[in-house]
Formats: sequence, C-alpha cells, structure tokens
Amino acid sequence: MKSNYRFATMVIVLALLLAACGGGSPTTPPPGQPTQPPAVEEATQPYPAAEQPTQAPATTDAYPAPETAPAAGEVVTLQVWDILTRDVETEVMETLIQEFEAAHPGVTVERTVKTFDDMKATARLGLSSPDGPDIAQINQGLSDMGALVKADLLVDLTPYAEQYGWFEKISPSIVARNSFTPGGEVFGEGSLYGMPITAELVGVFYNKEKFEAAGVEVPTTFAEFEAALDTLLAAGEVPLAYGTLDKFPAIHVFSEIQGNLVDRQYLDDFIFGRNNQSFDIPENVEAAQKLVEWAEKGYFTPGYEGIGYEDSWKLLSDGQAAAMITGSWISGDLAAGPNGDKFGFFLTPSETARGTHISVGGTSTAFAIRKGSPNEQLAAEYIDWMVSDRAAQLWLEKGIVPVQPGDASAVQPGTLDGDLVAAWDLLNDNDMVGHYLDWATPTFYDTITAALAELQAGRITPEEFTAQVQEDYGAYIASKGQ
Amino acid sequence: MPTRKVDVQAYLYILPALAFYAVFILWPILQTFWYSFHDWDGITLPTFTGLSNYLELAGDETFLAAIRNNLFFILFYTVLPIAFALLLTTLLTRRKIRGLTFFRAGLFLPQVMAMVVVGVAWRWIYHPLSGPLNQLLRAVGLEAWARPWLGDFDLALPAVGLIATWVQYGFCMVLFIAGVQHIEEGLYYAARIDGAGELQQFRHVTLPGQTGQIGVALVTTLIAALRIFDLVYVTTRGGPGTQTLVSALYLYRNAFGINRVGYGAAIAVVLTILILLISYAVLRFQSRQERMVQ
Repeated sequence: MKSNYRFATMVIVLALLLAACGGGSPTTPPPGQPTQPPAVEEATQPYPAAEQPTQAPATTDAYPAPETAPAAGEVVTLQVWDILTRDVETEVMETLIQEFEAAHPGVTVERTVKTFDDMKATARLGLSSPDGPDIAQINQGLSDMGALVKADLLVDLTPYAEQYGWFEKISPSIVARNSFTPGGEVFGEGSLYGMPITAELVGVFYNKEKFEAAGVEVPTTFAEFEAALDTLLAAGEVPLAYGTLDKFPAIHVFSEIQGNLVDRQYLDDFIFGRNNQSFDIPENVEAAQKLVEWAEKGYFTPGYEGIGYEDSWKLLSDGQAAAMITGSWISGDLAAGPNGDKFGFFLTPSETARGTHISVGGTSTAFAIRKGSPNEQLAAEYIDWMVSDRAAQLWLEKGIVPVQPGDASAVQPGTLDGDLVAAWDLLNDNDMVGHYLDWATPTFYDTITAALAELQAGRITPEEFTAQVQEDYGAYIASKGQ
Repeated sequence: MPTRKVDVQAYLYILPALAFYAVFILWPILQTFWYSFHDWDGITLPTFTGLSNYLELAGDETFLAAIRNNLFFILFYTVLPIAFALLLTTLLTRRKIRGLTFFRAGLFLPQVMAMVVVGVAWRWIYHPLSGPLNQLLRAVGLEAWARPWLGDFDLALPAVGLIATWVQYGFCMVLFIAGVQHIEEGLYYAARIDGAGELQQFRHVTLPGQTGQIGVALVTTLIAALRIFDLVYVTTRGGPGTQTLVSALYLYRNAFGINRVGYGAAIAVVLTILILLISYAVLRFQSRQERMVQ
C-alpha cells in the first residue's frame, strides 16, 4: 500500500514537471490587432513611459511611403535586436516604432534591447538561427560584422541603399566602414552590409559657465586647447573628466591627440589593413608622450584609473569637471541631467589650422538584415524608417545626432544640439569622419587598452608602447598576407 | 545473499533531474571537449587541428599570467577566509553569545547575493573620489592611502581579492560553527586536565575535529577561486592591463570576443582538469587526516 502512494506521488510530480516545461512559449500577439504596442523583451534598463510624441506631420512627406504591406488579415512580426539602451534612445525608438506600425497595418515590431557586450556575444547565434531576428544592430569591424559577412549571414544592403537613397545620406567613409567584399575578405570596400542610424562623434563637451569663470574661450588650435586646460587647472577646476576603469575611454583620448598628427590616408590604411602600415611611427610616439604629459600635469580627474566610464561623465554632468573628451552618445543624457543647459561641444582642434583633423568615431553600430529572413523588404523599410527625416527630427529633439547631415534649421545654434549638428555637418562635408582604433585587428581592443593602461601608469615608455601595440598589428597583417 | 532487486522507482525519481543535467551540463561538456580539438570561429565550419590549441596554450604568456592570477586568488578565496573563520569560531562558540543565529545569517548573506551585485556594490565602495573607503581614509587623515584601487597596477588584484574574502568568509564561518558544536566538550576537558593551553586545545582538539568541514571549505573555495569570472568582469574586466585577468575571463575573450571558440574550449578543458586535480588532492589529504583522527 505504501509503495502505491509513493508511485502515485512520483507520477504527479513528473506530470507537474512536464507541464511546467511545456508552457511559457513567447507570446505572439493575437491576430486582428495590428496596432498593438510593441513587446519589449529583456529590456536591460527600466525606461519611463514614452512621452506624448511630438505631432507627426500631417502630410506623409516625412515618412517614406510604405512599399510593402502584408496581405489583409495577415500578421507579420518583425523581430529587431538593437542596443539602444539609453533612456532617451528608448523614447525615440518607441515613438518611431508606434508610427511604423500605424503606417504598416498588420505588422508588429518585436524589439529586444541588449547591451553592447550582450549583442556581441549573442548576435552570431541569433543570426544563424532560422527563427532569429530579422534585424540586428551589429558592430563594425572585422571580428563582428566581418565575421558575420564571412559566414554569409548578412544580406547585401546595396540594392536597398540604392532603392531608398541611403548613399545620399552618408559620406563615403561611413559607407566604407560598413562595407566588406562578399566573403568578408576585405574591410572597407565592396558591398554595404550595415546601415547606421545615429552619428557618433568624439570631441570635447564643456561646461560653458566654468569656461567663462576661468576666462577661457573655445580654442581654435591645439595649442590654444592645451593653454585652456592649463588655465582651467590654475583656476582650481578639473580640466578633463576621465575614467579608464572601463578601458575604452583611453582609446578615444589617445586617438583625439593622434588625430592631429596623422592624416586620413594613414588612418584608413591602418584600419583597413592596406599598404603595410605600422603603429610604431614617430607620430604615435609623440601622441603617447602627450597623453602621459597631460596625466602628469593633472589635467585628468584624480584617481581616474579607478573610475568607470558612466561615473566619469557624470562627474562632468554634476559640475565636478570643466570638460570631457568623449562621444556624442552621452549628449542626450547630459542635456537631460542637472546643469543640462550649460554644456556645449567643440571638435578637438587641429595642430595647425589645417581643417582636416580627423575626428574619432563615426557612427553608431549598424542595422543589418539576417540572410534568410522572410521579411527582407519590410526589414529594409524599417531601417529606412529609422533614417528618415522624421527620425532625424526626433533624434535631434532628444539631443542625439542622426547619421544624415543635419537640418541646421531644426536646431538652435549655440545650444549643445546646435554645436553637435554643426560639428557633424563639418565632418561629413569634409570627409573628416575618423575611426575607432580598436577595429584594426580582432585582438586590437585588448592589446591597445592594456598598453594604454601601462603607458598612463608609467610602467612603459611611449616607445615601448608603440612597439608593444605594433607586435599585435604586425602579427595580424602578416597572417592576413598568407 | 539474495540478489538485490533494482529499485526502479528510485531511478525514476532522479530521472527528471538527471535528464536536465545530462542535456544542459554533461552534453555541452562533451561538446566543449570536442571543440577544443578544432579551430572554429563559432559561425562557419570548424577545422580539425588536433592538439594544436593545447600546444599554443602551453606557450601563451597571457594564459599563464591568468593562471597565476587564479592561484593568487586562492590566497583570498581560500586561505584568508578559512584562517579567519577558524580563528573566530574558536573564540566565539565556546562562549555564550546572544543572538548567534542572527550573526550566522548575517555572515552568510554575501554568499546568497549574486556576484554581479557584489561586484557593482564594491566598485562603488572602491570609487576613488566618492567611494566610502577613500572618504573614510581621508577623514582619518590617511590621504596618501586613498588610491584608485581597482585601477592601480599593484593594488587591483588584492582589492578584488578582498571582495572575494568578504564573500567566502561567512560561508566558512557558518561551516565551522556548525562543526565545532559536534566536538564533544569532554575532549576539551580531558585536554585541559592534561595541561593543554588554548592554542594546544585548538591544535589538538578543534582542528582535527573540523577536518570534514575544512575539507568542504577547501574544495568549495578552491573551485570558486579557479572559476572566478563574474566578480572580475564587473569590477575590472581583467584590467588594468592584465593584472586581474583570470582564466575564465581569458576564455570568454577568446570564445566570444575574437571568435576563437576552439581555443576557448581548450582553456575550459585545462581549467576543468586543474580544478579536478586540486579537488582530488584536497579530498585525498582530507580522508587521510580523518583516518588519523580516528
């Protein structure tokens, strides 16, 4: 009798287990409700409910005309993975998606937001699965987009770019960094595989009040810039907010200094692996030397080695520093924070008034379409929606620079947005958009961040620094030559 | 002797857990072992390369530095917590302490917290400007000691290590407190009659009586020291330079950062073997100790 009870209990337990495993499939919206709000799965940050969107224009001129529409009654789900985790970015995306769904009856957008690192680790898996996302936001460079092109997982976007006129929106250097030859052999030419939607420019954010109080004007040459930093230091301010615990900020500051000393040809060759360039050149040694000088003079936040990136820009936002060399991705949050209206932006001035100083950065990571997606045309339309004039308007309202040359009339000059858009227009018009050094080789990020940390700690000399970095680059170039 | 009937019911009880374990843990382990013999970027087809990943590992300076860091972490994960816990246990449990249960629960709390949360919280504590540690040091006049802990080339590793000690210490404490209560009071009596002082009582009564617990603590903390990933990832990402780089982080970089899944798998296999060897050694030593006590 006892064993019968035991048996019964066991059967019940097993049944419960199986039932628990069987349920829990991802919810798909029931048909017949095409205007359902998008389901945001796995949001990595809580976000405030989308504000009332600014009135959409009455005419549909700002929207690209929908070229695809599902058959009546059919429900299409577009799966999008992106890394727009910041609060302001989420607000813009929510609005754009709502309007996209309204203009495309029968289409539901399912958006999954991931962090940069998370996307890097999971994009490959998602894009090689038949149930994977239709669109994913992929990092440029060899180890990310290049590897995916090599594995034939991305759709060649060139025909769509021509159809929607994307080549008119972005400068040739931006096209180049999102291009690979089919097979992923050569970086920087060939077919377009990703379309970025926002710009990223690295330059100097500054607190106008502090500059005024110290009697400093926006510098027009690099020498003036250094003099300004000296004056700010003497006035008791921390000239540059800085924190290298998260490693990458050092790349940006070094690159901004380097950008004054090397030309476009060298950087393009270096990043795209052409013409056997070397990192171990006198200009890079000089740039490294300058970085060390700045640290020794005390331009940077004291204790920067132990401060993380998010904490460092917050120092600027809280008024604990006068300026910061970093990228436009913080502009939205900076403007929304305390002291938001006190900030301005200027590009790191060039050594001589050459005007061809290459700025670090370029664009946000790019939207790519999975090969084998059943909704290719719709996906392309979604991407086009995200670079439309309407999208540009929304990005600018939130203080983020869209990828296309800005409509100067949409922003007030003299505000942070105005400064950013003007700077971006300058870069775009003069093909001055530079690169991120860590694209050079798959292992470059680890190599150069480690070397920069050692350089700034005084454990290696500038000469040793460039030699150490060159070891990585040289080995890579040699292996490619085989 | 009558033949034992196979207890089918017993096997059915463990079947669900075993199935889960086999599918999600055993099978991937075998797969990883298989991958370690290939050159694979995670997307395209793998190429069989035999032992070349292992040979490369043997000469990989970065990997060896990572293993050294893992061994260094053993000091913080294992030696310090066990030493502190043993010391405090002897001081505490043989006296009446009110609310011991409360302290036990509190001490164990760090174990229950997710390592990621621990890492983020300690990152703030170590913040050079606004972190409580440096603020405290400045307040008592020790300005020179207020360093950028997690970014300092010499101090980063100990700084992260201390976080680990904080987490593991409570666990060892709880283990030893439970263990000491099993030691017969009579043994201490006998020892005192024989003229043994506190230290000798500790060496000859407490310590041998705790062999089982020490063994458990050793194995658990050693494995934790060799497996460490999330704590380092959240606090320093292996920096500055490679000062806090650990094997698991190096594995992650290779497999997911630079698309060398085969190489990452080889690192995983080497790490697993290392952990198994160390655990085996500890357990062998422990059983020998137990036999001596008996």
